[in-house]
Amino acid sequence: MNKKKENIFHIIARWFVRCFLGPKFEEKWFYSKKKEGPGEIKFKDGVPDDSELIVSPGRQIFNRFMERKFAVFSVIVVFVMFCIVFIAPHFMTKYYDAFTETTQKDLPPTLSLMKVPGDLAGNIKMIDSYSSFSVGLSNDGKVYVWGVGNIGATGINIKNIPDAVKNARIAYVAAGQDHIIAIGEDGTFYGWGSNRFGQYEATDTVRSNPNLEPVPDAVVNGTLDVSHIKKVTCGYQASAILMDDGTLYIWGNKQAYANMDKFIGRTNIVDVDFTLNYVVGLDAKQNSVYTGTKGLYAKVRTQLAGSKTEKMADFLDGRKINEVRACSTSVCLLLDDGSIAITGDLPSDVVEIPTLAEGEYFIDIEAGTYHYSGLTNLGHVYSFGGDHYRQAEAPKVNGAKKIFAGSFQSYAVDENGKLLNKWGLKGYLFGTDDRGANILERVVAGGRITMTVGAIAVIIEIIIGVSIGLAAGFSGGAVDIFLMRVAEVFSSIPLYPFMLILSSLLAQVSMTTDQRLYMIMVILGVLGWPGFAYITRAQVLVARESEYVTAAQAMGVKPSRIAFKHILPNIVSVILVNMTLSFAASMQTETSLSFLGFGVNYPQPSWGNMLSRASNAVAAINFWWQWLFTSAILIMTTVCINTIGDTLRDVMDPKSSNDK
Amino acid sequence: MARYIAKRLVYMVLVFFLLTFILFVLYQMMPANRAYTDAKNEIMTMKRLSEEEKATKFDELYLKYQRLYGTDTDNKLVLYLRWLGLYPFYDGHYSGIFQGDFGFSYDYNAPVVQIVPIHMRNSFIIGLITEIAVLGITIPLGIKCAVKKNSRFDRFTQFFTLIGFSTPSFIIYIVFIVFFCSILGWFPVSGMKTPGANYTGFKNVLDVLHHVTLPTICLTFGSLASITRITRASMIDALNLDCIRTARAKGLTEKVVIYSHAWRNALIPMVSIIVGGFFGTISGAMILEQMFGFKGMGLLFLNATRTADYDMIMFLEVIYTFLGLFSNLVIDLCYGIVDPRVRISK
Repeated sequence: MNKKKENIFHIIARWFVRCFLGPKFEEKWFYSKKKEGPGEIKFKDGVPDDSELIVSPGRQIFNRFMERKFAVFSVIVVFVMFCIVFIAPHFMTKYYDAFTETTQKDLPPTLSLMKVPGDLAGNIKMIDSYSSFSVGLSNDGKVYVWGVGNIGATGINIKNIPDAVKNARIAYVAAGQDHIIAIGEDGTFYGWGSNRFGQYEATDTVRSNPNLEPVPDAVVNGTLDVSHIKKVTCGYQASAILMDDGTLYIWGNKQAYANMDKFIGRTNIVDVDFTLNYVVGLDAKQNSVYTGTKGLYAKVRTQLAGSKTEKMADFLDGRKINEVRACSTSVCLLLDDGSIAITGDLPSDVVEIPTLAEGEYFIDIEAGTYHYSGLTNLGHVYSFGGDHYRQAEAPKVNGAKKIFAGSFQSYAVDENGKLLNKWGLKGYLFGTDDRGANILERVVAGGRITMTVGAIAVIIEIIIGVSIGLAAGFSGGAVDIFLMRVAEVFSSIPLYPFMLILSSLLAQVSMTTDQRLYMIMVILGVLGWPGFAYITRAQVLVARESEYVTAAQAMGVKPSRIAFKHILPNIVSVILVNMTLSFAASMQTETSLSFLGFGVNYPQPSWGNMLSRASNAVAAINFWWQWLFTSAILIMTTVCINTIGDTLRDVMDPKSSNDK
Repeated sequence: MARYIAKRLVYMVLVFFLLTFILFVLYQMMPANRAYTDAKNEIMTMKRLSEEEKATKFDELYLKYQRLYGTDTDNKLVLYLRWLGLYPFYDGHYSGIFQGDFGFSYDYNAPVVQIVPIHMRNSFIIGLITEIAVLGITIPLGIKCAVKKNSRFDRFTQFFTLIGFSTPSFIIYIVFIVFFCSILGWFPVSGMKTPGANYTGFKNVLDVLHHVTLPTICLTFGSLASITRITRASMIDALNLDCIRTARAKGLTEKVVIYSHAWRNALIPMVSIIVGGFFGTISGAMILEQMFGFKGMGLLFLNATRTADYDMIMFLEVIYTFLGLFSNLVIDLCYGIVDPRVRISK
């Protein structure tokens, strides 16, 4: 044993190891520092121990493989990718292929949708949100905007609050799809964001367009009496201001809200809100939801599950509606006795309306895009309605005095304006696509499809190719010539044209998306087998001349048994290498086909069709996140698979490793 | 040798007929009935006919058009032979590809033979420039990597070719478009010339060049990686041959060993890629042409598939199949040229 002077730390460490891990580790880590030379022979029980010198070929290949760091890294990456794309979809319970959301289109990667600025969080007066950004107003009249500020490809950033707004004391704010309006305490009207549909400024183009309703002069010329404003709200590309006396000012895009005409100039309105397509109001009688369209919101329900509905008049039974709050397709009614009811359509994935304790009743309801958040007289908050982004799963809050909801977020605030809690959608790690779907989820789901198609295609290739190659190589003669001619015919089929024809032919046949997927796998496999057949045949021709086959033949083993039991295991390594490389190639072919629109089609995601929007140069630069992450993951996966294949070939080939 | 070529030609013709027959039958499954639509259209133009008269008249017209287009039978073989021009139509005349009648494009409203050559020329020019550039870059690069195997330069190249090889070509195009068109703004995004501008002479040439440069660069970059890897691999194999050791032992200069002895051997597995590449130039690059709106064979085929332009697809398929088979033959012959052993064994 080495009797060198140990320092104190070394000794402590040694004792520690001995104490907790045992003397075996102590010896291993502290005393076996001396390197054994390569020529030194170890003795075991008095005889030279050569167990480490002679290793099986499989072990040798494994050892050599483990020496290549990048290859090992690739194996880990591919394994992790496999796990992610095949296991993660089981945890994405809310995900479905055809999900679309108009208000969340083309959002860049962000996690700031719910990030209330620190200055605001202590004294919130109001918060409003309709799409990807939220606007907040503090008690001292300052405006804050958070979330995604860029409006599509227009170059407008809604976070650039005009100086006039920054310098003024603001009394009311409201946010629409792409604009924000604000009213100063002196009655001045402000607006910023997109004005393409006359959202906040009555320009000449807006006035001349019959489909747009310009901002009323009474709003713009500063004569608005702020103390008598009851409500300021915004819809998709429209806004409304409601006064105490029932006067309603409403303006914006009439194409988005076809029934807006019915509301212009009305003076007996008690409450107003915007769904995605309708303006909904409450007139002075307070006994129905007024939309100007008969029977649209005539049936109410108090339970979201099931299809039990009641007629509005029967349900109200003399009670009055106090508030209407609108989601994109449904409206929530708050009655004068504190009970609530929903009218309209709700998404399938919902959180049920809570049953409140005795003596507890709702005093306020706010609506997001699909969910509602309610505040009770005891200061508790509840959320219900659409729950795709878990925005309707409210935490426990005590002492809330105000509640705000919008888009996919909700905020609970106490009487001083201090933010108590917030819940809902934080943002999208990879952004959203042109239909408003979360790209991260689609990458995972698309990876599952791309990898499955690649894998099944390769398996089909191997099954056909290897059996034909075995048959041709082992039989020889006429069979060999015939099979090789067949393989030649298949390999001279021009791949892409033929695939396009087949998939456009298949498009004529009505089939489900899954059947189409199987067809793509089969087409890829059937067109790709000749490569495997050639390789197998060449290997079999070599193996057929070797001694072990001669020996087997001499012993009278059946030819089929020789082929499958003796020759096949010996050529498995070559097939394995080609399988790996072919897997990456199949994935690439599938993505290219889907990119062209002839492979996997929307709504099913695939790494190829998710990139198809990037063929437009303007979209490619403006919405870079829609192709960058997907292609980076695709490239990473194929690079790693190819590395594994290359490395396997290197380590299995004795020739190439000798001269390394 | 002549016998071998003759044998190959006979085989090629057989496979050609087999493949075109398969494709033809596949096409017959497409739900397009030209005789029916034409008869329907003609009936629409006729007015003042009772329903009954219309029905009989329609049957008459339908039969007439079926006979005109040669679709008055369900026998696929007869249809195929008619298409080839080996079986007479109802009125006894022959009209098929052997008579030079390749069909009529309904999309372009012209015979397909008039449409295709322009596109083929475009594809060929850009493909040829690309092919020359690719071979000019990759062969020296591959040889250098093989000779200096495992050097830093080789590792560097290997790393990038691995990425390039694993990247689907369209992602490379996207990156190039974003970089050169959107960020730098050097090149127009799509088309063959500036729309609306009728330049003449030298200015026109410059304009076309301005539009075609980026597709050419993209196409070149798209195939650099794989060919570099193949060159390197076959060169490494060639450098391990015994004859190279002998050549070195003889005291030949390294230059002679590499370029004369090793390269000649490395060329054998590369023949199929080089020759196939040249034939591929005619077929066009489908994805590239689609992305750049480049009027080549690939875009022609894609559009024909999208609009179900029957005769056009069939004609392009014939060209593709012929090119595929013919290039296989040329590849085999080239093997004979670069490898004397093959020549003798035949």
